[in-house]
Amino acid sequence: MAADVESSLELSLSSSYVGPLPPPRSRILKIIVIGDSNVGKTCLTYRFCAGSFPKRTEATIGVDFRERAVDIDEERIKIQLWDTAGQERFRKSMVQHYYRNVHAVVFVYDMTNIASFHSLPLWIEECKQHLLTNDIPRILVGNKCDLRNAIQVPTDVAQKFADTHGMPLFETSAKNPNDNDHVEAIFMTLAHKLKSHKSLMLSQLPDNTIHLEPASKPTMTCWC
Amino acid sequence: MAQPRPPRLHDNGGRDFDAKQKRKIAEIYQVLNNEPVDIAPLRRMAISEGGLLVDEIRCKVWPKLLNVNIDDLLPTPEEELRENSKDYQQVLLDVRRSLRRFPPDMPDEQREGLQEELIDCILQVLQRNPQLHYYQGYHDIVVTFLLVVGERVAATLVEKLSTHHLRDFMDPTMDNTKHILNYLMPIIDQVNPDLHDFMQRAEVGTIFALSWLITWFGHVLSDFRHVVRLYDFFLACHPLMPIYFAAVIVLHRASEVLACDCDMASVHHLLSQIPQDLPYETLISRAGDLFVQFPPSKLAQEAAQQQAERTAASTFKDFELASAQQRPDTILRQRFRERLRAEESAKSLLATKPRTNRFVKLAVMGLTVALGAAALAVVKSALEWAPKFELQIFP
Ligand SMILES: Nc1nc2c(ncn2[C@@H]2O[C@H](COP(=O)(O)OP(=O)(O)O)[C@@H](O)[C@H]2O)c(=O)[nH]1
Ligand SMILES: [Mg+2]
Repeated sequence: MAADVESSLELSLSSSYVGPLPPPRSRILKIIVIGDSNVGKTCLTYRFCAGSFPKRTEATIGVDFRERAVDIDEERIKIQLWDTAGQERFRKSMVQHYYRNVHAVVFVYDMTNIASFHSLPLWIEECKQHLLTNDIPRILVGNKCDLRNAIQVPTDVAQKFADTHGMPLFETSAKNPNDNDHVEAIFMTLAHKLKSHKSLMLSQLPDNTIHLEPASKPTMTCWC
Repeated sequence: MAQPRPPRLHDNGGRDFDAKQKRKIAEIYQVLNNEPVDIAPLRRMAISEGGLLVDEIRCKVWPKLLNVNIDDLLPTPEEELRENSKDYQQVLLDVRRSLRRFPPDMPDEQREGLQEELIDCILQVLQRNPQLHYYQGYHDIVVTFLLVVGERVAATLVEKLSTHHLRDFMDPTMDNTKHILNYLMPIIDQVNPDLHDFMQRAEVGTIFALSWLITWFGHVLSDFRHVVRLYDFFLACHPLMPIYFAAVIVLHRASEVLACDCDMASVHHLLSQIPQDLPYETLISRAGDLFVQFPPSKLAQEAAQQQAERTAASTFKDFELASAQQRPDTILRQRFRERLRAEESAKSLLATKPRTNRFVKLAVMGLTVALGAAALAVVKSALEWAPKFELQIFP
C-alpha cells in the first residue's frame, strides 16, 4: 500500500478559492518520468512533491501520479509527475495512454547500475513512438549519486550520451539530505524553461488543458 | 488482579456476531470432516458474510477451492533455482521493496526469512511453467498465500492459481489484462451511466484499477484481514470477479468522482487512492449481484469495443466458457485459433443469452436483502461452472 508515498498529494488537488469569481485554474505542466525498475523514479517524484525521501517505496504497478503546485513568476503552475512502472510488460500496452499531452519527459537511470544506463536507448526509442512530436523537452537524470563508491556510470560517458541525444544531464540523489534543493532545482528548471521559452508557450485551452506549440530543441544548462 | 474478560465491542451485537461466527466455523469443519469433501458449501461460505473467518480455516479450505491435494505438494526447489532464473533480478527488487506486506510487528529476521521463501516460491512456479511470465504485483499475490498457508502449500496453490485465475495476467504481453480491464467501464455503465460518461469525458482510462486487478487488491489494501477476506471471495468465484469488485468500488465512490474536476489526473488520483474503510461485506455482496445481473457474456461485446484495436476480442465469450478458457493447455492452443476466429466470435456475441427469470429474481433479492441473497446467487453461478472447472483439473 502506498499510503505514505501518496499522502503528499493532497496539497495540490484541492484548489479552494473564496471569492466572487470562479477560481482561476492553474495551468498544468504534465511530466512523465520513465526508466528501468528500481532506478528511483518513485523516490524522485516523491521527493519533489513531498519534500523528503520516502521511508520505503513499493514496486510501481502501472502509473502513479503525484502533483505539486509551484509559483513561477507570480503564476501558479501545477506540476504533475506521472511515475511509471519500470517493468517492460507494463510499458508496451499500459503506459501509452499516459503519454498523451505530456509537456516534458524525464529519463532516469541509476548511476550505480550500468544496465539501467544501457536501457536508455530503448526508453528513448519507445518515447519517440508514443509522442506525436519530436520537440517535447527531455532531460536525463542519473540518480543515486550519494552512493559514491558504487558508481558504475562515469559522468563523462553519461554526458556524451546526453549530448548525442540533445538532452541536459543532471546527476543527483533522491536520498541525500545535503542535496536538499537539487531534485527541486531539476524540476523547477524544467518548469521555468517550459514556461519562459518563447516557442514553448503554454497556451491555455478552454478545457483547461494546455498544449505545446511546436518548439525548437531546448537548450538547458547542465547542473552537474 | 483484574477479572479476565472476553474482548467485546458491543455487548449484544458482539455476542451475536461471536455466536454467528462460531456457528459458521463449526459448519465449515463439519463439511471438511465429511469425505469426500463437498466443495459447494465451502464456496458458499467463502463468499458469504465474513468469508472463511480465520487463517486456520483458510489453510484447509483454500486448497479445496483450488482443488489442490495437500498430500501432493510441489517438491522443495532445487539449489540452482535462482541462478537459472531470468526473472530473479526483478523478483528480488520487488520482494525487497515489499515490506509493507508483512505484519508491522514481525521481527526483521523472521520477515527476511519469509522474503527469501517468497522469492523461491515465485521462481519455482515460474521455472515449472515456462509459459507464465512474471509481472510486478504477482509478488503481492504470492505473499498473501505465503503468510496464510506457509511455503510449500503456498507454492502449490499459487501454481494452480497462476495457471488458472491469473493466467491472463501472465501472458508475454499485457494485452489480455488490458482486455479484462475493458470490462470495467461497461459494468459501471450498466449501473450508473452518468458516472460512466463523466469518467469517459475525463479520459481517465482504467490503469487506476490495474494494480487492484492483478494483485487481487493485495497491493493497495493495508489491512491484511481485508486482503484475505477478498481472497476467500475471489477463490470461490469466477476469475473475472475482481473486475466486478473494482467496478463496485468505483460505483461506491460515485459522488466523490462526480465532484472531482473532470480531467484524467484528478479522477485517476482520486480513484487510485483506495479508501481503507470500505464496507467490504456490502461491496462483496454487490459485486456478486452485478456479476449475476451482467455476466461477462453480456458485457463482452462492449468490452471489446472499448479496445481500439481488437487484439483478443474474445478471451471470455461466456462466463461458463471462461473457466474452460482459463485452462492452461486450452488457453495456449486456443489463443492462436481465437485470433483467427475473432471475427466469427464477435458475431456470435451479438446474440447474448436473455437473462433467465431466476437470475433476475436472485439479483433483485440480492439488491434488496443486501447480504446473503446475492452471495447465494453468486454461488449458484459459481457452481454452474465449478463442476466443469473441477472435472478439468482432475481428469
Ligand atoms: N542510495 C540511494 N538509494 C535510492 C535513491 N533513490 C532511490 N533509492 C532506492 O532505490 C530503490 C528503488 O527506488 P524506487 O523509487 O522505488 O525506484 P523505481 O522503481 O524507479 O520507482 C529503493 O530501495 C530506494 O530506497 C538515491 O538517490 N540514493
Ligand atoms: Mg516506482
